[in-house]
Amino acid sequence: MRYQALITAVLAMLSLAGLTQAENDNTDSGNALDVMRASGEGYRTAQPGQPIRFPQDHLAHPDYRIEWWYLTANLTDAEGQSYGVHWTLFRTALRPGADPEGWTSNQMWMAHSAIHTSTGHHYEERFARGGIGQAGVGLTDAGQFDAWLDDWQLLGTADAPVPGRLVTTVGDITIQLDWQADLPWVLHGDNGFSQKSGQGQGSYYYSQPRLQITGEVVIDGTPVAVSGDGWLDREWSSQPLAADQQGWDWFSLQFNDGTSLMAFHLRQDNAAPYVRGTWIDARGQARALDEGDLVIEPVEWGDVDVGADDGSRKSLPLQWSIELPGQNARWSIRAQTADSWLATLVPYWEGPVTAEGHSTGVGYLEMTGY
Amino acid sequence: MKTAFNRLLRVVITLLSHYRRHPLQTAFLLTGLVTGVALWSAVQVINAHARASYAEADQVLGAQASHWVRSRSGEGVSVDDYVQLRRLGWRSVYPILEQRLTTIDQGVVNLIATDLIVLPAGEASNSTGLPEGGWMRLVTPPFEAWFPNSLAQQFGLEEGDRLTLNSGRQLPPARIFSREQQGLRVFMDIGAALTVLDQSRLSYLVVSDLSGNAVADLRADLSLLNPQLTLVANQQRLDLTELTQSLHTQLAAMSLLSFAVGLFIVFNAVRFSLASRRHTLTTLRELGVSHRLLLAAIALETLVMSLVGTAGGLGLGYLLSQLLLPSVAATLQNLYGAVLDYNLLLQPVTLVQAWLLTSAGLILALAWPLWRQARQSIQAQRDEPAQWQQDAKARTRMLWGSLLLALLAFGLYFQLNSIAMGFVVLALILFAGAGLLPWTVALVLRAIQRVLPASAWRLNWACGDGLAQLGTLRTALMALLLALTANFGVDSLVDSFRTSLSDWLQQRLAADLFVQSDTLDIDALLAEPGDWLIESHRRNGLTVRWQNRPTQIRGLNTETSDTLALPLAAATDRVSDWFSGNPDVIFANEQVRYLAGIELGDTVQLPVQGQSVAFKIVGFYHDYGNPTYQFYLPYERVANLWPQAGEQGLGLWLSDDGDALARAETALVGAGARPGDWTRREDILAISLRVFDRTFALTAAINALTFTVAGIALLASLLAIHQQRLPSYAHWRSLGVSGREWLLIVGLPLGIGLLVTWLLSIPLGTLLAGLLIYDLNVLSFGWTMPLIWRFEPALTLFWLTLGVAGFTFTVSAIQVRLRLPQALKHLGEDTA
Repeated sequence: MRYQALITAVLAMLSLAGLTQAENDNTDSGNALDVMRASGEGYRTAQPGQPIRFPQDHLAHPDYRIEWWYLTANLTDAEGQSYGVHWTLFRTALRPGADPEGWTSNQMWMAHSAIHTSTGHHYEERFARGGIGQAGVGLTDAGQFDAWLDDWQLLGTADAPVPGRLVTTVGDITIQLDWQADLPWVLHGDNGFSQKSGQGQGSYYYSQPRLQITGEVVIDGTPVAVSGDGWLDREWSSQPLAADQQGWDWFSLQFNDGTSLMAFHLRQDNAAPYVRGTWIDARGQARALDEGDLVIEPVEWGDVDVGADDGSRKSLPLQWSIELPGQNARWSIRAQTADSWLATLVPYWEGPVTAEGHSTGVGYLEMTGY
Repeated sequence: MKTAFNRLLRVVITLLSHYRRHPLQTAFLLTGLVTGVALWSAVQVINAHARASYAEADQVLGAQASHWVRSRSGEGVSVDDYVQLRRLGWRSVYPILEQRLTTIDQGVVNLIATDLIVLPAGEASNSTGLPEGGWMRLVTPPFEAWFPNSLAQQFGLEEGDRLTLNSGRQLPPARIFSREQQGLRVFMDIGAALTVLDQSRLSYLVVSDLSGNAVADLRADLSLLNPQLTLVANQQRLDLTELTQSLHTQLAAMSLLSFAVGLFIVFNAVRFSLASRRHTLTTLRELGVSHRLLLAAIALETLVMSLVGTAGGLGLGYLLSQLLLPSVAATLQNLYGAVLDYNLLLQPVTLVQAWLLTSAGLILALAWPLWRQARQSIQAQRDEPAQWQQDAKARTRMLWGSLLLALLAFGLYFQLNSIAMGFVVLALILFAGAGLLPWTVALVLRAIQRVLPASAWRLNWACGDGLAQLGTLRTALMALLLALTANFGVDSLVDSFRTSLSDWLQQRLAADLFVQSDTLDIDALLAEPGDWLIESHRRNGLTVRWQNRPTQIRGLNTETSDTLALPLAAATDRVSDWFSGNPDVIFANEQVRYLAGIELGDTVQLPVQGQSVAFKIVGFYHDYGNPTYQFYLPYERVANLWPQAGEQGLGLWLSDDGDALARAETALVGAGARPGDWTRREDILAISLRVFDRTFALTAAINALTFTVAGIALLASLLAIHQQRLPSYAHWRSLGVSGREWLLIVGLPLGIGLLVTWLLSIPLGTLLAGLLIYDLNVLSFGWTMPLIWRFEPALTLFWLTLGVAGFTFTVSAIQVRLRLPQALKHLGEDTA
């Protein structure tokens, strides 16, 4: 679940859009989250009991407000140098109703491309309107899954994004990754309906937690072969937020024993965090983790350079503890580098992490709302 | 040291106390100072602002623009090609739609549209560049059209109003808001604009940043993608600076003229203030204040006054520049396509420059009266009649001076080769005329005296008094002469230009309908047109670079009636070769002749597919309003030489049938044109003249302001004269001179002075107009036209002068009436 993505997308729209709600709500006109908390009237809403269908659901769902295709990867080169890659494509409907296509399309796209290298964290952000072909998700003439914005492209070999290839850039760095997977798609929550609050808000959410990736990163004109594990998320919704939720901490972890864990930690006003997750065994069998199955706690806070003009830094939890009491398992999750802040339109922290404890592994952590 | 300073301070305070006792005089001195400085600094601010805007011409709507991607045929760029470029990784490419739209009332409005979210980084994410509800409202039906305030005012639009176009379409609801570099244009989202205007193609693409190999790479990609697309470097910055240079020189010259008028006021005011303090000054000298100390005190006073005046002048100038800016912006946009930002920035450099020049001017204006004052002995200062003799001497000196200036102007005129020099000649003529004025007025007064019978003693007295007043009044009259001359000259220029332009347009716009459409299938339209059509003229063309400037090449049908009647300003005997399609002859606009220095019979080399082809110039045609070079060739010749040349419009002559227009419109729509793609002849004429009037609104504004400054000068002079002469008036009254007699004695010579001033302004103004039309205009724009002399502007100025003079005289007469009892009382005390 990538709430960060969602809020980033919507906030991005809003920052550009100014606040359409502002005139109706003078008391809280500055709070962009209001739109997230709006009823989603006019859009379809995510509800339990609706089966996920493949391959159709890999494509866009324009009648839902927000949607994303989200790839993270922990890679290493021949010399053991590690790389973290994160690429996302967000779709937002600007208004409900059928998409008129063309210039008046009600669809809007945003993408982030980021990489951690030995020289640090590099990222780029792009926007495009729907309807004119500058960005979108669909099938190519040859029937391949295709998600793109400008020359950034996630192209499936067939009608699904896996196996597939990503071609992207971050400034002058070019990245090309190819992947395949042996495990099936993992449906989170209740057969793909992932609840996000006690009041019933939720989204459709499934992942491919074990992408086997090989590829090439070209830095300063020098190609470097890389390989490792990746994680691909698919999620869409129309009204995902409860009124009292302000921030998210999200984990995707791949352990060396072949098991994987998705876990999220929604910080709420005047209430304990809303914590859910999915345990995936080495054969790809998933088990939803409900309240009590999962304990997530920040352990150590560190200063993060957020690119502020005045040089001020933010304090973020860079070390976490995750415990599955039922499995008697506990991990310490540590950020590989504090330098993972994206000072994008809506800023957030997203970077590679290392897991130690019950088993060892790597993964990605995303923190928003700090 | 301290004592000396204390003495200086005491003297200064004594001197300044005069202003406290005479607030009206103080007000006029300051008004003179402030208005004189204001107009000059206003134009200065605008010029600096315009130049700064040109420096931003490598940007479009706030984003960098190093290159353009344009279609060779001029039909615009398809959305698919644009998206393909983005998908090839050319992220720095963003789309622009620019349109000149005609409203239902035949107003013209320029539209610019882009996709804000793809503007290069820093811009797209900059939410501060958006009004409330910003981007979302811009892209969501019913969309929004952002009008800069002055444009909204021009069309009488309030927020939410919709502008109706002549095609019947409506622009989205107006929002009063302006983006960076929007200029006097309506801004819309590009998707909204294409939808609302029912268009499919983009005007061009802008490439924000392209350097090194990227240029070659993009060229290669373009040729693979669509060979019709071409990459053009943005040279607007250089082009604009060069093209607009003469306009700015003209503006600067006009503002300097008003500054000069302002200096006259200052000169006058200083003289008055010194004269009315003659007794104070003399008393101070008699009390032992040294000559040097007195000079120092006066200099200090001057500094204080200049600082106050300059500060006020700059402040007012800044306000004035904001008022004048829309007019200058309209001129620049209409003539050169230059876009001026609406947020005037007062640059510190401009302030300092303005202050330095103002102070220099003030010191100059002060030097003469101070020098005179300093040279006078105490006795001479007590001796009033000497003043009369001095005035007469000064008049003669001025006469000689002005003759010298005239001679100099005459000599320089024959070496005239630059705009700046043209304005020097112009200034010399103006000042020569101004110098001539007091002598002429004196001549007239004396002549009247001579022919008057001895019995007409009142008239004799009036003339004699007029001669006495002249020394004080002459500066104001000279200022008025400058203003009148400038007004009449510029009016004649604008008048001549408008008449020439109108006649020329009538000839050039011969067809009934003009069609400009990127969707019209002209071949289909003309294949079987039906009997509504008598004749058609299809043009093609393109823009190339020649002599390092953008240059238009146009292909004409040599057999249509409008081409056959093409009015040529100059031609050789080989003109018929052009009409018979001889490949080596060409017509050029006059700009080529006067700005590029090409003569009839000369050969020009034009760039053709990477090579150059030679043409012999066999004719020059008038091309008013066009700042660029232009050449005419036969249609086929252009098509053969430049395959990339695009359609440049279609002229249609309709039959006399009542329904010919309706049938033509049906046929046009049938052949793919869309409503709004064609314009009727009379509408184009009206639009062109409206654009012209708007362009020259600025000159009218500056003229009016100069005239106002002169009016203030006159009022200040009259008030000062009466103030000074109040004791004399008291004497007259005590001698039994009635109010009516006073009016005659004081008013008549003033009337004669004004009449002479006005009369002199007519030949001088004509000379000025001639110089502007035959020399400066040609040097600046390359346009020639005949001077069309009309008496009406002079008559208007006569009434205006009469009005201003009547008003100022009434005000000053009322002052006299109010103060006379007091003066009589003083007189009684003195006598007692």
